[in-house]
Amino acid sequence: MLEVKNLMVFYENAIGVNELSMEIRSGQIVGVIGSNSAGKTSLMNTISGLIHDMRIKERRKGGVRITVMGQILFEGQDISNMPPHIRAQHGIVLCRERHPIFPDSTVDENLKIAGHLRNREEIKHGMDMGFNLFPNLARWRKRKAGFLSGGEQQMLAIAMAMIVGPKLMLLDEPLLGLSPAMQSQLVKALKAIRRETGVTLVIAEQFARPLLPMLDFAYVIENGMLTLTGSGPELMENPEIKSAYFGV
Amino acid sequence: MITMTIVYGFINSAILVVAALGFNITFGISGVANFAHGALYIAAGFLTYLCLTELHFPYWIAAPAAVIITGALAAVIYRVVLLRVRGLVVSEVIATFAIGLAILELFRFLGFVGFEFTLPVFVDASVPLGNTLVDAQRLLVVASGIVLTVFLWLFTHYTKTGLAFRGIAQDERTALTLGINADRVAALSMAFGGAYAAVAALVILPLGTIAVNEGYDVMINSLAVCIMGGLGSTGGLIAASFLIGYGQIITATYLGTHWTMIVSLVAILIILIVKPSGLFGHQKELEERT
Ligand SMILES: Nc1ncnc2c1ncn2[C@@H]1O[C@H](COP(=O)(O)OP(=O)(O)OP(=O)(O)O)[C@@H](O)[C@H]1O
Ligand SMILES: [Mg+2]
Repeated sequence: MLEVKNLMVFYENAIGVNELSMEIRSGQIVGVIGSNSAGKTSLMNTISGLIHDMRIKERRKGGVRITVMGQILFEGQDISNMPPHIRAQHGIVLCRERHPIFPDSTVDENLKIAGHLRNREEIKHGMDMGFNLFPNLARWRKRKAGFLSGGEQQMLAIAMAMIVGPKLMLLDEPLLGLSPAMQSQLVKALKAIRRETGVTLVIAEQFARPLLPMLDFAYVIENGMLTLTGSGPELMENPEIKSAYFGV
Repeated sequence: MITMTIVYGFINSAILVVAALGFNITFGISGVANFAHGALYIAAGFLTYLCLTELHFPYWIAAPAAVIITGALAAVIYRVVLLRVRGLVVSEVIATFAIGLAILELFRFLGFVGFEFTLPVFVDASVPLGNTLVDAQRLLVVASGIVLTVFLWLFTHYTKTGLAFRGIAQDERTALTLGINADRVAALSMAFGGAYAAVAALVILPLGTIAVNEGYDVMINSLAVCIMGGLGSTGGLIAASFLIGYGQIITATYLGTHWTMIVSLVAILIILIVKPSGLFGHQKELEERT
């Protein structure tokens, strides 16, 4: 469903992604594992089109600082020059890192804003599904999202991404800042999402441990480059991974 | 004397609210400080005047036409000029200010100067309030202030476009990932602000004549109440309008009408020194946008 070919992303004085290729099949849960500044966000932003948007804004102001090379194919179509809101219409939806919610709007309003592309019934249905997946959220429907806890904001962000109607959902560090209990709750919810909707998930994370058991495939990246690939359980047994990400 | 000050202060405050709402909407949503706001207001006045006197349109066609054309003009300004400098705050200010100057001075150049340029009042009647007689048009301004504010609230809470406005206002990148076309929404917010300026012109201008210089005054007053209220905050705008509105009437009564414009300028200075983010503003609105 998604094919990334020799992707390179350069910033003015840093490399974000370096000669990276990956192939994601429909219905999979795929992990992108890497530590800080490995290039996870750069990769997710490039696939979702945010980097493309940044480049357009830079070009308007004169002076593009970001260079992108390589190809991204979604369902066989080259989407490298597609703006992010069109990619969202095609079903590529990114849930950005650090709880991307609208803090001054209520939980309900956040979900309605996220339903921009959907009709009234679809939004209602999406909201029901979100509150089913994350019962904690249902208690705070009229509360401003900025007043929710970090974990609740993350749940809201995922519920929002689901309402857009993704075929491919990209999650950038969804476990960031969550307690172990909250992490396992979220992992369960992600599994439920895949089971119920069949959406393909790409999850970028530093914490490999709670995630690996459910991954169909994982890419380990370092300094923007692929260093290891394999299924989740395979990587669990890999000694390098054990020492680098589990601290064993 | 006291009732008169209270009544006219209230009306003057409502005038400030109505005139400034459009400027505030555009800034609140897209972060663009539209310094052509006063010019759009005057342009809407002259447009209506021309539709009525030259084209002999009935009022019920001339007025909506002016609102739509002004809104469209604002959107065109966005697409053609502002899109390129979006996010470069200084360029936005210079560009909109220059466009505003061009529009206003073009009217002056074309001979739109004099006392014959007026718009019709809606109802020609006076209503006694206590021992003060108030003409119906002034009450209409107050009513339209309420209607415009309520409409704005309903629009931004219950329509798709209105909700997208609030999404873009809070976090453009996240809105993009949700499939919202940020450039289109920002252009719409300019159009919305332009249309609000036109409605303001339709209800306020019948109180006097349509004069080019009025465009500058409207701009200064709008800037004053928006800065004082905290840019982008509707509640702040209303509160600041009442402070400045009453300030102007009291000044006019005790010092002379000549001094009213000073009130806005002093208000801008004081608020910038004491609390630059405004009465109701979040600090973030004065931070640089990324
Ligand atoms: N907008 C930018 N301008 C310049 N350099 C950038 C920009 N964004 C990222 N970088 C650089 O690109 C490299 C990869 O960053 P990226 O944000 O993709 O890493 P990450 O894996 O998401 O890290 P983290 O886990 O800390 O979020 C880093 O060296 C970073 O400094
Ligand atoms: Mg990151």
